[in-house]
Amino acid sequence: MALRGKYLTGCAGLALAAMMTAPASAIDPSRLLSADQNANDWLTVHGSYKSYHYSPADQINPGNVKNLEVAWTHFPERATRGIQSTPLAADGVLYYSGSYSRIYALDGATGKVVWTYAPELDEELVAKQTHSPYNRGVALGNGNVYVGTVDGRLIAVDMKTGKPVWDTRLVDSKKLTVGFTGAPLVVKDMVIIGSQGGEWPWRGPIFGVDGKSGQKKWEFFTVAGTEEARATWGGDSWRTGGGGGWMVGAFDPETNTVWWGTGNPAPLYDWAGADWQKSGPRPGTNLYTTSVIGLDPDTGKLKFYHQELPHDAWDFDSAVGEFVSIDRGGQKLMVHPNKGGFIFVYDRANAKVQNVWQLTKNINFVKGIDPKTGELIGRRDLSLGKADTPLCPAIAGGVSWNSGAYSPKTQLYYKISQEWCMDITVIRTTPILEPMAQLNIGADFKLVAPPDGPARGRLDARDPVTGEKKWEINYKEPPLASILATGGNLLFVPDSEGVVHAYNAETGQELWSHNNGMGHNAGIISYMAGGKQYIAVPAGWGSLVSDEFAALWGEPFKSMAKNTGALFVFALKQ
Amino acid sequence: MWISVPRNGAALAMLVLALSIGCGSAQQSPGPPAKAEARPPEASPNDIDGPTMFATLCGYCHQDGGRAEGKGPKLAGSKRSDEFIIARIRNGKSGAMPAFGGTFSEGQIIAILAYIRSLEDDGH
Repeated sequence: MALRGKYLTGCAGLALAAMMTAPASAIDPSRLLSADQNANDWLTVHGSYKSYHYSPADQINPGNVKNLEVAWTHFPERATRGIQSTPLAADGVLYYSGSYSRIYALDGATGKVVWTYAPELDEELVAKQTHSPYNRGVALGNGNVYVGTVDGRLIAVDMKTGKPVWDTRLVDSKKLTVGFTGAPLVVKDMVIIGSQGGEWPWRGPIFGVDGKSGQKKWEFFTVAGTEEARATWGGDSWRTGGGGGWMVGAFDPETNTVWWGTGNPAPLYDWAGADWQKSGPRPGTNLYTTSVIGLDPDTGKLKFYHQELPHDAWDFDSAVGEFVSIDRGGQKLMVHPNKGGFIFVYDRANAKVQNVWQLTKNINFVKGIDPKTGELIGRRDLSLGKADTPLCPAIAGGVSWNSGAYSPKTQLYYKISQEWCMDITVIRTTPILEPMAQLNIGADFKLVAPPDGPARGRLDARDPVTGEKKWEINYKEPPLASILATGGNLLFVPDSEGVVHAYNAETGQELWSHNNGMGHNAGIISYMAGGKQYIAVPAGWGSLVSDEFAALWGEPFKSMAKNTGALFVFALKQ
Repeated sequence: MWISVPRNGAALAMLVLALSIGCGSAQQSPGPPAKAEARPPEASPNDIDGPTMFATLCGYCHQDGGRAEGKGPKLAGSKRSDEFIIARIRNGKSGAMPAFGGTFSEGQIIAILAYIRSLEDDGH
């Protein structure tokens, strides 16, 4: 008996230890619904369906953040183009993806590898792709980790074992050249993912896939996805319209609506000038490109939309996947940044514009946007040939795809702005469709400084609805990583030179920094393991926006490696 | 094996046309069985428009039409050999540049090379 009792005690101890460190059981959809209240986990790329990039965790605060130090690191294989994903964390296990859609499950307290998964990709195709082989994140649900691939597949991996569960091809990437780089979104039983697109001459579909079986349930074309939309494309231009929904969106459970941002139309630049309704390569408003769309997650049916830039002629798309849910004064609002540097505020019920405010200072593609209607004021439509003055912002946008953060405590929205312009010469092009589609730019361009000073970046702390600014921090170069707000009243900003900054979220005072030695192009999160708060951020340089930095700023970017990366995890000193 | 591309416009156009026709003829001659994979289409003389092809694809990274450094290096005045540039267009560079050998015919690649060689180097 004594032996048996001792044995049971040992087993119980092992079981308890396993519960403390083992991967979670299935992530129930209800857990995703309350993720914004959960200080322990980080369950979706945007932190929760509310897109706050906020953790309620408050162990690390302005008083002790100076004691933050590296707890552990992890080095992924084949970090081509660095690391661009936002990690997730559930029940003490951290999951993140690297290039080539490789997934790593790590013990959140120690960094010990639980499992790794490396899908076999079509390497010959990968070598032919422009937006490749990076991956921007995974999703959790139904006991699986979901990841898209650049060769057009969505894969489910068992979150306990790392073994593949199903593998569904959604896009003919050999023909279209593009696949998936953005993260999926789990909504109830559905896994939703948008394909790459924009300047690629296709129709940018978004897919709904059954999370348990891998069966495709629906497909929504962001280009001419309805008869109404097809009528907004002259001739057959809708067949090569672009679109795409390449960044993960959000979900509003109250209205059962998935919010997704769509890419620009192709070609990027249009030579029709002011006659764009009737002539040029894609006459018309080009629905549903450069739009926010509301989809029924169960059927993929369009519920509503707002096209932020009708007939986008500047590549200032709406693909930023950040949809910040704000309740204020009885209004239920959705805040969404457009790449052109404007922030749109919508009614969450129907995407009716409630306000538009300007984040980026240097903008001249329009004179303004009507804050009541969203109508563009004073469009600057380019014609063939060299533009007289630089176009602002530059092709890399007034904002990029990296997300800002919102703190329910400070009620401030923290967002990076990019200040740069570009000389541009518009050139008439013909889409290349055979034997495989290629991007269609339609211009020569060169990034230059804006009229008001050097090219630079800026972090603003603003009211998310009115845009009223509380404070700002200027950077020599725009930070290209998503940022993090915490319940400890801290704001974490991983910058482009490789330094992670921690600021007082109320005042913007810098309280701590650490140099990771290479630029950040991913997302930073907070989670708990064993009752302790950790801050995790991948470092590793090499996105298509970051590729612009060497020409603009020289070192350290000229020498910064683009084929390496590491996950750095920080905790308070014991 | 590759002929160095001249920088004179008229001679350049003739050379590109001749090379593209030559490439087409070569592919019609007897040879080993074709691989199952799709072969790049041969360009007609109308397709041999280096500046337009460059603005469609290449200018995304090689800025100001290849005259300035951007995501990719400045190409005007490149000291790289013709063989190197042709091989780079055809095969790409992992993590930096896609391989266009499956998209462009040899004639089109030479037209792009010819465009690159025609760029004036301002010395910056």
